[in-house]
Amino acid sequence: MGIIERARVYSPWIYHLHCGGCNGCDIEILAALAPRFDVERFGIQLVPSPRHADILVATGCVPKQFVPMVKRVYSQVPEPKVVVAVGSCACGGSLFYDDSPENYAILGSVDRVIPVDVYVPGCAPKPEAIINGIVQAVMKLNHKKG
Amino acid sequence: MSTEFKLLKRVLSRYSTPMTLNYPSSVVPERKYSQIPSGLRGVPERDRDKCIGCRACYFACSGRATEVIDEGNKRVIDIFLFRCTFCAHCQEACPEEAIKLTERFEVAFPRDEPGAHVSTELDLLTCERCGRPYATKRMLERTYERLMEKIDPLVKETVSNDYRKLIGYCPDCRRANSVALDTHTKKYVWLEGV
Repeated sequence: MGIIERARVYSPWIYHLHCGGCNGCDIEILAALAPRFDVERFGIQLVPSPRHADILVATGCVPKQFVPMVKRVYSQVPEPKVVVAVGSCACGGSLFYDDSPENYAILGSVDRVIPVDVYVPGCAPKPEAIINGIVQAVMKLNHKKG
Repeated sequence: MSTEFKLLKRVLSRYSTPMTLNYPSSVVPERKYSQIPSGLRGVPERDRDKCIGCRACYFACSGRATEVIDEGNKRVIDIFLFRCTFCAHCQEACPEEAIKLTERFEVAFPRDEPGAHVSTELDLLTCERCGRPYATKRMLERTYERLMEKIDPLVKETVSNDYRKLIGYCPDCRRANSVALDTHTKKYVWLEGV
């Protein structure tokens, strides 16, 4: 393992993308970052800009108005990047899943817009489940070469 | 006084453990998980021997996570965990108590893999007249048992006979051939006068 790969695995910075949800999953992500779990001991840190991030954590069903922003944020994350969908809405659409007739306002899951690498189902998932998902994302990040 | 208290506090803090949980690496459950209350709604589990394939969970599902796929002589009832909100409506609706929500919540999937589905496969009966698959055998048996439990003794024998005649046909064939099979509901009108 080279020095860049080693640094990447030991400090995976995450960017939290909230694409139209009920805020339940966002509160759980904040709980995972808080001192009770303290993910900063693994070097996981919440960053304010997608340009600094390695992992994109997306929550919520995507409204149609928000699709260009999701694409833009995804393109701003530098390679190699990993996307984690947290919550049932981001994973599969959940209550907003509609195929016929299609919902006029809400598109559905995040993977309809951007490629998702790890799915964490739950409504809302416990902080442990989110950390478990991010650990899997770090393992994927290790395999991807930027 | 306050100095002594501070000293005591400092001495005691040497023996206390930190608040932070040692999450993925700890082996002791008390130091690993924050709080797992009893009755935590996690991943649903279906007992294959109890399930009768009545589709009650499909109609009760709030997130449209449950799907029923009839293909050939097989009925597959499938819960897609990506869409499941773990609301336990299926557990409430199930007449046979086959679905139960476990306390397993640590789930993360890299993609749409078999682990993200809770599916059960059941055999379907085919109609004797038109050859169309219509219901599972176990569901018809259980319906008969439940029907006989609470039925009025006056019509018990008639209903029992009719049920045995009808059991091999699909709903459309039952309606079309009700006169030929002597199962038409009109005969109950005469029974009322008795």
